[in-house]
Amino acid sequence: MNILIGTILIWAGAVWALARVNRDHRSELRTIWQISLDTFLFMLPRLLLGMLSAGFLALLLPEDYVQRFLGESSGLTGLLIASLFGALTPGGPFVAFAIGASAIKAGATLGAITAYVTAWCIYSILRIISYELPMLGAAFTRTRLLVSLPVPILLGLLAPVVM
Amino acid sequence: MIDGGLITLFIILLLSGGAVWIKFGPDVFWQTLLADLGFVAVLLPKVAGGVVLAVALGYVLPRERIMALAGPESGVTGLAVAMLAGAIFPGGPAVTFSLTAGLLASGADLAAGVAMVSGWVLLSANRTLIWELSFLPAHFVLVRVLLTLPIPILLGLAVRHLARRGVAAE
Repeated sequence: MNILIGTILIWAGAVWALARVNRDHRSELRTIWQISLDTFLFMLPRLLLGMLSAGFLALLLPEDYVQRFLGESSGLTGLLIASLFGALTPGGPFVAFAIGASAIKAGATLGAITAYVTAWCIYSILRIISYELPMLGAAFTRTRLLVSLPVPILLGLLAPVVM
Repeated sequence: MIDGGLITLFIILLLSGGAVWIKFGPDVFWQTLLADLGFVAVLLPKVAGGVVLAVALGYVLPRERIMALAGPESGVTGLAVAMLAGAIFPGGPAVTFSLTAGLLASGADLAAGVAMVSGWVLLSANRTLIWELSFLPAHFVLVRVLLTLPIPILLGLAVRHLARRGVAAE
């Protein structure tokens, strides 16, 4: 049911965006379909492998450990552990989100997963070394990383209050 | 089409699937596999919608006019615009970091650059709509995005504050 509502909402957004493009940049519609199709085909095998892995990993993750370190009673320490794991997770979004999905199934709190995902977003090491440092410089990168330091913990603390 | 990420995932799948087979037996293995295959099938229409929305969104907004709004002395509005530009314009790191370099070159301050990069890394519409929504529960994604919305602006303000006190100077 949840998925059905999500699907309808997303397609409503997509139709709105396509209608705007159709009005203002009609010639781009073909390009949009082509890029969308390419992206979808790129995703399909990754989504499939990621989802199946997430299902298996959820069975294998030692539930008592996940619950002890990332569960309800883990508190601030749990958020710190989750943030550290997030910062150290290599690879594309499908890897990080698949791990997040299996941790939720194994009993991690949504706060811990928020901290994990946020830290992964901010500190993706490969992206920093291969793109940010060469393109924007050390001063910029250092400043961004420093001011972002409290963000994963902060959001991890706020998330359970709102959810 | 075949890259390091796909190979990594394939190895993870082989290892985790193999471990489930050994630890829990073939019955649990096939049960889990079929349940997840069914889940992916139900998910696909949503994924397709997310892809179309993410791609089309990049064409809806006029890039030049928006970038001009994030220029020097644009205040908090500039930070918000820089964040939104980072979040909404599609493209990988090469595109976003060039866009940020362009913004900085046009005279915007470090804070606007940090807001833009933070908007992209934390809220990229592309990644959120395509990947995050596919893997994680929708209410989780919604709450994470809503909570994160003010963050790039706050980070920009923090950078300005540090710059005024001379801490963030090169």
